[in-house]
Amino acid sequence: MKACMGKVLRVDLGARSFEEVPVPDESYRKYLGGLGLAAAILYDEIPAGADPLGPDNVLCFSSGLLTGTGSVMTGRWMVSCKSPLTGGWGDANCGGTFSPAIKQCGWDAILFRGVASGPVIFVADAKGPRLEDASDLWGRDAIETEEALLARWPEGKKPAIATIGQAAERLSLISGISNDLGRYAARSGVGAVMGSKRLKAVVLRGNRPISCADPATVKAISRAYSDKVRKQNLPRLFKGRFLPLLGKALGMKQVIPMDGIMSAGILRRWGTIYNNLAGAVNGDSPMKNWGGSVADFGPRHYQRLDPDRFISRETRKYHCYSCVIGCGGVLDVSGVIPGVKHSHKPEYETACAFGALCLNDDLETVLRCNEICNRSGLDTISAGTTVAFAIECFENGLLTKEDSGGLELHWGNAKAIVALLELMARREGLGDILADGTRVAARRIGKGSERYAIHAGGQEPGMHDSRMDPMMGVAFSADPTPGRHTISASVYYNVSHVWDDVPWAPASTRIYPKSEEYEATDREADKSVAGACLKQVIDAAGGCLFALTTGVQHWRIFDYLDAATGEKRGAEAYMETGRRIQTLRQLFNVKQGLDPRTTIMHKRMAGVPPLKDGPLAGATVPIGDMVSNYWRRFGWDPVTGIPLPATLEALSLPGTDGAIGATKTAAGTEAS
Amino acid sequence: MPEKKKPVVDYVRCMACGACVPACPAGCIALTRQGLDRYRNAFPELGTPGSCTGCGLCARACPVECIAMAEA
Repeated sequence: MKACMGKVLRVDLGARSFEEVPVPDESYRKYLGGLGLAAAILYDEIPAGADPLGPDNVLCFSSGLLTGTGSVMTGRWMVSCKSPLTGGWGDANCGGTFSPAIKQCGWDAILFRGVASGPVIFVADAKGPRLEDASDLWGRDAIETEEALLARWPEGKKPAIATIGQAAERLSLISGISNDLGRYAARSGVGAVMGSKRLKAVVLRGNRPISCADPATVKAISRAYSDKVRKQNLPRLFKGRFLPLLGKALGMKQVIPMDGIMSAGILRRWGTIYNNLAGAVNGDSPMKNWGGSVADFGPRHYQRLDPDRFISRETRKYHCYSCVIGCGGVLDVSGVIPGVKHSHKPEYETACAFGALCLNDDLETVLRCNEICNRSGLDTISAGTTVAFAIECFENGLLTKEDSGGLELHWGNAKAIVALLELMARREGLGDILADGTRVAARRIGKGSERYAIHAGGQEPGMHDSRMDPMMGVAFSADPTPGRHTISASVYYNVSHVWDDVPWAPASTRIYPKSEEYEATDREADKSVAGACLKQVIDAAGGCLFALTTGVQHWRIFDYLDAATGEKRGAEAYMETGRRIQTLRQLFNVKQGLDPRTTIMHKRMAGVPPLKDGPLAGATVPIGDMVSNYWRRFGWDPVTGIPLPATLEALSLPGTDGAIGATKTAAGTEAS
Repeated sequence: MPEKKKPVVDYVRCMACGACVPACPAGCIALTRQGLDRYRNAFPELGTPGSCTGCGLCARACPVECIAMAEA
């Protein structure tokens, strides 16, 4: 098949051995690449009960099937493993320049198992794959490490590098993996897995060509999409302070169909931080550790996080590989962060996690927290949520000044927020208790603190309130990687136009009352299922969520896949592949003994008790019924969440033995 | 002997997506050209022209076909 490289590389860090393994075309047909290929391989290769931080866990870096084919918005790389944070399937993905580099080395995925005897880096270049000593890099932050490695190859092609910071070295369960000097595959605790293997960095410098069956068609799609994006330019007079109007429109009691291509103009201007104001107004932004509202963090506060104030520091835009939107940016942070001149523009998730969630309106604190996380490797979503948890514990007397080392952990205390985050990055004092996220911290603190520990299945949720978008709550609760905000949501689905290509996906083309989204109906469940299947396809292809939110009528991912691979399969077949990947990720959890019923989000996130004020006052989400419906419409048991035998058979997935049991080879890779 | 061809970027069509950068085996293209639009985008340009072999892989990689190989 075209578009793929046809091989993966297995690396045994303990034995210091390498093995190239061919992957048959049938496996790509069944799972595509990226996340799908990873799920197929890891389901088979990680034994049940494996210690996530032990040698049996496998850390898989995989490239999207469409990466490098001439398609656009398809430059994301996936990292997958058993998550030490949730105990089940773990994955995270990231843009940057790492995805094409994996393929240019000749592989679709690189699999690391075992534990190195000392710190190492993995290098792949014209000399082939090898491990090199990394004692001199161990203990350095992720950005310093990448800069030091870039200096080793000053001439010729710049290598693509993935690194970890000190938080991952110290096995913080909320640490991620960086590339491009601070862009993160942050979720699921993937950094801790890399740290546990003593793998400090992966350095790729290949030049293999990436094939494409029909480059003319692929580029025609790219040109047409790019022409549409190019025309999305907001008037200069439309300032950040007007974004609350957009927020109000998105939060109306009636949901109005929109063309998602408009979002390209917003992202080009500000990036994701446009939602600092829009989300504050309509309730999308959780506030005060999911216990507050604009009554606690009103316009006087949230307007201090106006995206125009961030953009005023922007020195240049940052695009991930093959991205024609360019939502990223590099900010001049001179005078804000000692010794640092440039820093990646914070994402909305970061700004909210260290902003509204902690009732902090100080922009410079957000910049500092962003940089601390990017250097140490902490996931900003999880770290911000854990800081908010600590503040709520402190405010309610569960933590004292003695516990905090003298920090006054009150809502909005900017200095204390920064100081606590630094302690977490270094695992010192209270920071050591908090460095593994809210669930573990609550166990350590005790005293009933779990009532303030916001998470789903151990993972802190993204900064989008499920009481505003219940479909987001279903993803938080029922996705095999719980707590993720990038899987499915009404706000994504309604602009996706997936129903144009997939008849079974419910159409969202008419005005409807927002209240419908709060009902546990088959239609809402089918929207969640379709959204999740589509997201699996995108993650298998290396696609970007923001391309999805411009709509697949513009970003023609199914046509891309047909043209790039040369396999004329059509949208419905790819969505079936998405269903297979999602079901296999769920099977992974069952195999690892993770009961799907235990990943339901914190009850506060479902409006139990409901908020007393703000735009979401009184809102509750029937999350139990919605998750049950989602499982049923996926072909999984509506009570247990375990995929049903008939579903496995229909999807040609591994058979079951006992609860789920032993499996046959899923990916078609040869045994080592 | 004919001049070696070099990449010429049409900055009206270029989307600054960077797909040309890793395609260059010699690493001679970089996203360094600014001041061409209101978004502070950094567009590709030949940073080390002497290293360019004229292989055309950057042009082949460009998703929107905005790079032409022309005699310098």
